[in-house]
Formats: sequence, structure tokens, C-alpha cells
Amino acid sequence: MTRKQKRLTIIGTGMGFLALAAALTFYALGQRTSYFYMPADLLSQPAQAGERIRLGGLVEAGSVVRGDGTRVRFAVTDSENTVEVVYDGILPDLFREGQGVVTEGAFGPDGVFVADTVLAKHDETYMPREVADRLMEEGVWQE
Amino acid sequence: MNSMLFWTLAAILTLAAALAVMLPFLRGGERTVSEAEHDLAVYRDQLAELEREVQRGLISESDAEEARAEIGRRILRLKGANEEDRPPRVPGQGKLARVIAVVAILAVPAISWGLYGVLGSPNMPAQPLAARLTKDPSQASIEELVARAEAHLAANPGDVRGWEVLAPIYARLGRYDEAAKAYRKVIDLAGPTAEREAALGEALVGTGGGIVTEDAEAAFDRALKLDVENPRARFFIAMARAQEGNPEEARTIWQELAASMEEGSPWRVAAGQALASLAASERRASASGPSEEEKAAEDEAADDMTSEARQEMIEGMVASLDAKLQQDPDDPEGWRMLLRSFVVLGRRDEAEAALARAREALGPQSAEAGKLEEFAASLGLGTKE
Amino acid sequence: MSVELGHFALVLALALAIVQAVVPFAGARLGSQTLMRVGEPAAVTGLALVVGAFAALVAAYVQSDFSVLNVWENSHSAKPLLFKITGTWGNHEGSMLLWVMILSFFGGLAAVFGRNLPPTLKANVLAVQGLIASAFLLFILLTSNPFTRLEPAPIEGRDLNPILQDIGLAVHPPLLYLGYVGFSISFAFAIAALIDGRVDAAWARWVRPWTLAAWAFLTGGIAMGSYWAYYELGWGGFWFWDPVENASFMPWLAGTALLHSAIVMEKRSALKIWTVLLAILTFSLSLLGTFLVRSGVLTSVHAFASDPTRGVFILAILVFFIGGALTLFAFRGAALAPGGLFHPISREGALVLNNLLLTTAAATVLVGTLYPLLIEALTGDKISVGAPFFNLTFVPLFLPLLTAVPFGPMLSWKRGDLLGAAQRLQAAFLIAAAGGLAAYFITDRASAFAALGMVLGFWLILGALTDLALKSGIGKAASSVALRRLIGLPLSVFGTALAHAGLGLTVLGIVGVTALEKEQILTMRPSEVTGIGDYSLHFEAVRPVTGPNYTEEQAVFTIYAGGVARGEIISAKRLYTARGMPTTEAGIRTFGLSQLYVSIGDSTADGGLVVRIWWKPLVILIWLGALVMMTGGAVSLLDRRLRVGAPARRRSAPVPAAEKA
Repeated sequence: MTRKQKRLTIIGTGMGFLALAAALTFYALGQRTSYFYMPADLLSQPAQAGERIRLGGLVEAGSVVRGDGTRVRFAVTDSENTVEVVYDGILPDLFREGQGVVTEGAFGPDGVFVADTVLAKHDETYMPREVADRLMEEGVWQE
Repeated sequence: MNSMLFWTLAAILTLAAALAVMLPFLRGGERTVSEAEHDLAVYRDQLAELEREVQRGLISESDAEEARAEIGRRILRLKGANEEDRPPRVPGQGKLARVIAVVAILAVPAISWGLYGVLGSPNMPAQPLAARLTKDPSQASIEELVARAEAHLAANPGDVRGWEVLAPIYARLGRYDEAAKAYRKVIDLAGPTAEREAALGEALVGTGGGIVTEDAEAAFDRALKLDVENPRARFFIAMARAQEGNPEEARTIWQELAASMEEGSPWRVAAGQALASLAASERRASASGPSEEEKAAEDEAADDMTSEARQEMIEGMVASLDAKLQQDPDDPEGWRMLLRSFVVLGRRDEAEAALARAREALGPQSAEAGKLEEFAASLGLGTKE
Repeated sequence: MSVELGHFALVLALALAIVQAVVPFAGARLGSQTLMRVGEPAAVTGLALVVGAFAALVAAYVQSDFSVLNVWENSHSAKPLLFKITGTWGNHEGSMLLWVMILSFFGGLAAVFGRNLPPTLKANVLAVQGLIASAFLLFILLTSNPFTRLEPAPIEGRDLNPILQDIGLAVHPPLLYLGYVGFSISFAFAIAALIDGRVDAAWARWVRPWTLAAWAFLTGGIAMGSYWAYYELGWGGFWFWDPVENASFMPWLAGTALLHSAIVMEKRSALKIWTVLLAILTFSLSLLGTFLVRSGVLTSVHAFASDPTRGVFILAILVFFIGGALTLFAFRGAALAPGGLFHPISREGALVLNNLLLTTAAATVLVGTLYPLLIEALTGDKISVGAPFFNLTFVPLFLPLLTAVPFGPMLSWKRGDLLGAAQRLQAAFLIAAAGGLAAYFITDRASAFAALGMVLGFWLILGALTDLALKSGIGKAASSVALRRLIGLPLSVFGTALAHAGLGLTVLGIVGVTALEKEQILTMRPSEVTGIGDYSLHFEAVRPVTGPNYTEEQAVFTIYAGGVARGEIISAKRLYTARGMPTTEAGIRTFGLSQLYVSIGDSTADGGLVVRIWWKPLVILIWLGALVMMTGGAVSLLDRRLRVGAPARRRSAPVPAAEKA
């Protein structure tokens, strides 16, 4: 191989990997990212049953009901609209009624949100950022 | 003297730093090695390494030959480049270099003293906690004395006397939660007495911000079981009745209390005062003018010397709470207590001022401030923004 | 007074850093040897001053001096001594001071050990180091001053965030910073080369050991952080693709690439421009990591800073250094002389492949980390990019890389023989495949994916061993000769083998825990029994315990295997009293290379306790592998060849005393 060919081989391989990486990245970004919703958003643009989203808001006071075993049922609210959530697992240490929470999962056919991940604030001053921003916009929560 | 020592040490540090910068100028010039010589040395070392690898049999002789040739080519190229060796001498560099040197050496003290002057607090001594807790008690602040007692009690949690001393101090400082805990500890360790239960109840009233809560009332009930005559418990049970909207019962208990105590005893005075304010609030509620009799009672109570003493004590407590909040303003519960106290004392202007300070301290946008505003509104404060 | 003296020392260190940034650089421009030499004492004295400042802060923490705002905010007199000390860097201000101290440490090392470097190169390197130090010292003093005082001093502090009160935190940030900041030396060398327009022969010899050291520390730091998150957060995961984790992973990927391309450059004088670019990119990613974590733009467990002025200040530093370096590269990069030629199939070619895959992988991680920020800035939509994204992009790029790793050391320089290398690796491949097959049947055909992953892990380990065997002639020469040869091999060969084998161990661990993990969530009442894997857990009781600054409810389980008690496992709900903050303490018990992991949740109304139990097979290997990689780096560093910066020994030394330093 000539010098030029060698160089072209290397550059070609490099370009090939970049193209592969770019293609993978775009595909994955299209498939594997989840949008963040607040209960009010679901009125204007409802999420499909089965579509993976993140749902955030405040845990409605008095809504937490422990079912049999490890199942928990609670409501996520932005103080006007409310969404029922069921979750099977251990709630985070700082999960409390009236506090900010972000859940990840999808709506079941019955309109109840089935969460597989529940994130609460991590310390007394931390609020999931998406929730804090939106609640502040709506004036429900102040920093 | 301490501050003298600090400035001396700072000056020594600065001098050392400036000397460090000066060092190369003091040592004078040395023979310089050109870049090419450095490169050559590296290539020679590479050749030597190649020989070692050949000896170990890590690379074949033909590969080694090729590598040798390549390093040889680099050395040749280097020799060619050697003719136009660097670095270029900039004309007049000597003078410019000297200016830079002087500026650099002056910059060290200038930057450090200038910036430290803006940022530092040179007159503030270090305050390690252990030293603060062991210094002469007469010079320590109440908080420091309390911390000292706390440290002692953390090590000897069974020291009843310690808890017994500390509990009322907590209450005086407005740290009702801790006061209640301390009284509970005393009761646990030394058994209940009427006075201890009643004092616990009073501390709980403090945590409730002046409301006789269920817990508090239970404590007073226990106290009365041990001693029906306990004046503190009787006083607060009456207050509980009054807060429940049962002024008749409250009045009866207070009147009995006042009658049973000796002239001039603090509980008699307190009961009298409570009766007077009860009467006054009823008067306000019925919106009719005060009866002569009631007015007289009120005046009498207000004139009473010990009543003033009690008022003073309340104000002292409010002032200490106020001071505590100035020191540690991030305490919404404290602000709530202060606001309520000012309103109860009828000092609305000060209450408004305190609310403004609290807003500032908690951050006007914070959730805590929001809650406090609500609470203030319930007291009728903060309406004029 | 010691506090104020520490503060003063920090300000003085800034003054020296500025001198260090300006004077040697001016000296190099003017050709003045004396000015160039100022960098050396300035760097060493600056290091002493920053260490003094840091010591003053540690002392304030140990003595609970609450007249220092930073101590009051992050400490408590009842905190155990160890956490008082580690709490010094458990907060924004203190950790930035640690960052700068490590930066000064590397600057000081470069000054002391660099006495036999070409003077212009050294002057420029120290100037760049001084510039970075000035920027960060200014940042600390103006926006994050740990020495701000409080008058009057409160009597008690607010305590440190409980999840940070852990031995993992004592070790994780210093290691991580040693890695991040260690790359600043390579960066400084790259900038110096660009300023000078030439790459000295000594350049690569110098860059490689620094990069190696930084890389080894970063490997350890990331592993430590991963282990900390694993046991402290109680979620049982070892890697979350959390932006902050990515922030440390990107420089690691780029640094690994840099490490390999520096080898090519040192041995073959090729890939000069590329190596310089990688050095810039690696440190840029370290700075980006610092920015992401410190500015609070990301929502994460780690982001304790949220002051916008800090974010803007760090962003300015970031733009200045990355932008400046890349601009310089654009203008001067082409001036660097190109190096030797090589065939695509050769050791060089293999290292280029490694570089391409590593940098592309780093790029996908970068995209995944920054994409949500970008989308939010552009459209306001909030999205999250999580593990599924990275599994889909990062893993396909990493698989071919891992497959190719054993080939690299088998190929010769310039022109290699792929077929020959494959033949030599035949045995390794067959054994790896057999191992994978065996694993498949031992696990009752649980997962074909696991079996394939195991093959890959074994392949990496055996490939590394094959390399050692071939280089020492085991199997060909008499065993005594081979043994002597093995012992005589350069340490860097062992380093390479260890690092590659360590990678294999980590792969085995990741595959084991991802594919074969067992998990159970259930409600248990005392004296109930549940089984997981080959073990059964007997829930004994819940008991209250009081610690120095917390109270906790411990749930005690006894582990039985085959009817025999194998010890206890304790998980707890802990309440830190000063902040009133609850945490979950996971209970972990190691059996061989695997672990049982128990994490308790809330109590249920009927007196039960929600319990989450994992059986994590081979999980230990993840971190053990990282430790072996680190050891590989350390062994390589001990290689005589690398310790010699430039062979000044053999000529009349210009600075005689320097060699012993």
C-alpha cells in the first residue's frame, strides 16, 4: 500500500466509527429518552399508555396507601391536577407527603401510572430540578 | 498582641515568597544546554534501550536494524537543525528582563497584602470549640455554658442534677424542645414529682408556641395527680380551659388559685393578671365598655410590682429569643414564636419589623418564608406590604 | 489566628501563581534563562503555601472552630474525628481547595523532577500550570472562600450531609482529583509544545509517566466512587450513568487513549499532532467535569453547589482554557513535524484503532450527558437520558475494542502479522470459550449473554497472560531460562498485562452482576425466612442503636447456607439528628467474589418491614479489576525507563544536585 492508501485506510476507519457512533447516538436518543411531565401537561398532551415518561410533582398529602406487601399507591399533584401512581418497591428515604418527587414509568390501560423508579429529594434543600422549576413557575412552591 | 504575631508571621511568609522569586536572580547565569543536546541525549538512550531489547530477544535483529536506522535518521536531522539553533535573542532583552524581575518581586507583596486586606479578618482569633468551653466561666456566654453542660451530660447522661439545672435554662433561652427533653430525662432518672411534671408541661406549652397541647395537658394532669395543689399545673390547666373556649371554668380555677396562694406570691400575681386579661378580652368580645369593677381589677394587676417583674421576665425571654434569631436567623420555628410573643405583648410594630427581618433571613422566595407569611396573616400581621 | 494565617497563605499562593504564569513565559519569549528559572521556586513555594492553607482548614475542622463559616456549615462537634477531617473536602469550598492543592502538588513535582528538561519546555510547562492555578485560586478566593469568618461564632455546627459521612468519601475525591488534575501536566506539556512549535524528543517520555500516574489515580477514584454509591445509596447499583459519574468517566476514556498514543509517540515519534490534541481534550474533559459538578447545572446527588456566580466563573475558566488551547492547536498544530510511517496492521495501527474507539465512546458519553442540557436550553423541554441510551451506544463501541485488546501487544511495530497474532492467541481463545461454556452450564443456562460476556472477560485475561508467556518464551525455552526471562522483562510489559487483565476482571464482574443477579422485594416480619440463590435469610429482630451523631433501627438477619448459619447481615434506617435526615444503611456480606446485599424500607401497617435483597454474583470483581488496572499503572511507572525524564545522567549535568531529587 502506498502512503496515501494507508492514510486513507486509517481516516476511512475513523470516519466509519464516527458514522456508526453518530447513527447509534441518534437512534438511541430517539428511542431511549423520556420526557418529563407534570400532571397539568397530561391534560393538553396526554401520554400514550405504555409510553415511557417521567412524571413529577408533589406527593399529595394523605394519598399514600400501602397495599399488600411492597405495593404502594399514592397521588402526584401540582395542586390542581392529580395523577394516581402505583409503585412496587422500596420508597426512597426522603419520600414524604407534600414533598417533591419524580417517578419514572408508563401509564397502564386503566389510566393509573405504573412507576418502576421513584426519586425523592436527596437532602433537605434539594428538590428534583424539573419539579422545582415548574412548581415555581406556577407559584405553588417557593424556594 | 495576637494580631501583632499574625502580622509578623504574615510578613515573614511574604518575605519568603518574594525571596523564592528572587532566588534565580541571586544565583546568576549558568551554562545553558541547547534543545538539540537534550534531544540527542534522548535518542542515544533510545538506542541503548534497543540494544537491551535485542539482548533479551524481545525483537528480531531485522526489526532492530530498521529501528536503528530510523533513530539514526532522526539524529542526522537533528544535526542539520543544530546550525540554526534557538532560542532567538531578543535585542534589549536584558533591560526588559530586569524590569519584569523587579515587577514580579514587587507583585508578590502587593497582590497578597492588597487582596488579603479586602478578604481577610486579621483581627479575628481562631476559636476552637474545646478552648471556648474551658475558658473562665465568668467570661463565657450563656450559649457556651450551655454547650459545656451539654458536653458534660453527653458524657454522663445519668447526672440528674445536671439535667435539672439545664432544663430551666433551656426554657429561659427559648429552646423549649430541649427543655422538654431535659425534663423528661429528669423524670426518667429521678422519678416524677408534681413540680417536674408541671415544668415539663410548661416547656411543652413553649414548644406549642403558647398553646396548651394535649401532651402538655397530660403532663399537668399527672402533676395534679401527684399534688392537687401544684400552682403551676393549676395555672396552665386554667389556660387550657380558656384556650378551649371555656372561660368560665378557667376563671374559676384561676380565682381559686389566686385565693389559695399567699399575698405577693408569683402564681397569685400571674393568676390575677390572667383573670384581668380574660376579662379584658371578654369585654372586647362583647364590645361593651368595661365595668368599673373589672377595670379596677385590671389596674390593680397592672400596678402590682411583681406583675411588672413577671412582665420583665417575659420580655427578657423575648429579648433572648430575638438575640438568638439575630445570631441564627435560619430558624422558622423561632421566628414563629417571636411573632406570636410580640403580638401577645401587644407590640405589633415590633412584630411587623420582626416579620420583615424573618422574610429577609429566610429568603423572600423560600417555602419557609411562605409558611411564615401564612402564619403571620393568621395573627393579622403583614397585611400592609 | 491559624485560620487567618491559612487564608493569608492562600492569597500569597495566588500572588506566586501569577508570577509563575507570567515570568517564565516572558523569559522563554525573551530567551532569558534567569526569568525562565523563576518558575521552579515559585511552584515549590506555592505548593508549600497551599498545603499550609489546607492544613489550617483541616485544623479548623478538627477543632470545631465554628467562627469559620465553612466549618459551621459542614461540621458538628459530635462528628467522629475521621469525618471531621474528611468533611474538610466534603463540601464545595473545601473540595476546590483540595483541587488546587493537588494542582500545586503536580506543579511542584514538575518543578522538582523536571530539572533535566529542556529549559524552554520547562518554563512554558510551569507557566501553563501557574496560569491554571491562578484561575482556580482566584475562583476560590472570590466565589468560594473556605476561610470566610462568622462573628459571633455559633456554638454548634450544622453537620455534614450524612450520605457524605463515610470512609468512601475520605478516599474518593482525593483520588479522583489526583486523576483529573494529573492530566493538567500533560495539558501543560501540550500547550508548551504548541507555543514552541516543536515537540522535543523528551516530550513523550515526560508526558507518558504523568499521564500514567493520573490515569491510575483516576481509575482508582472512579472505582472508589462506584463502590461508595453501591453501598451508601442503598440502591444496589454500581454505575448509574449519572452525569457526575460520566464527568469522571469521559476524562478516563480520553486519558486511556492518550496513554496509548503517547506510547506510539515515544517509541516511534508518530501521531504527534494527535497526541497533543488528546492531551488537550483529556484535561478539557476534566475541566468540564469540574464545571458540571461544581456549577450545579446538573441535578445530581453530588452537586452541592448551586450559586450561579460560581457557575459563570467556572464556565469562564472553562472557555478560556479549552477555547484558548484549541485555538492555539488550530494555528500551531500543523507546524508540528509529522512522524514515522506505519502499516495499518501493526502495533501503531492497533493503538490508533484503540484511540478511535475510545474517543468515539467518550464522544457518545459526552453527547448523552450534555444533550438534555442542550435540549432544555433550546426548546425548554426536559428530558432525561439514562442507562438505556448508554447501553445502546457505548456498549456496541466498547465490545470490538475489548475484543481487539489482546491483539495489540502481539503485533510488531511498523508492520504486523494479524494471522500470526491470531495463531498465537488460539490457545487463549479456546480456553476462554471453554470457560464461557462452563459458566453457561454451571449457571443452569441462565443467560447466553452472560456466557458470551464471560468469554470476553476470560479472553482479555488469558490474552494478557499469553503476551507475558510469549515474551518470556514459556513453552519454547527451558523453564529455568523462561523464568529468568520473565523476571527480566521490563516492568512496563507487566504493567500492560496487568492493566489488560484487570479490564478482563472488571468485565467478568459487570457481566456476572448484570446477567446473573437475583433480586427480591418482600415484606418480612421478625422470625420469617426467605431464600435467595443458595442462601436463606432469617429475619431475627429490629433493635434500636445510638451512634455518635445518629440513632438507628437495625434489622438483623442471619444467613443460612445448607442449614448452617453463615453469619449476620445488618441493614439499618438511620436518622442523623443534627439535620434530622434519614438514610438507609445497606447490609452487605461477601461470600468469595459475590455479595449478599440487603436494604430495608418502611415498616408496613401490620408490623412487617419492606426488605429488598440482592444476590450479586462476582460483583467484587468489578472493583478488584479496577484495582488490578491501577496496580498495572503503578508497576509501569516503576519501570526504570519511565523514571528517567531525559537521560541527563550521561552528560555533564548542567544542574548537578538535581538528580537525587
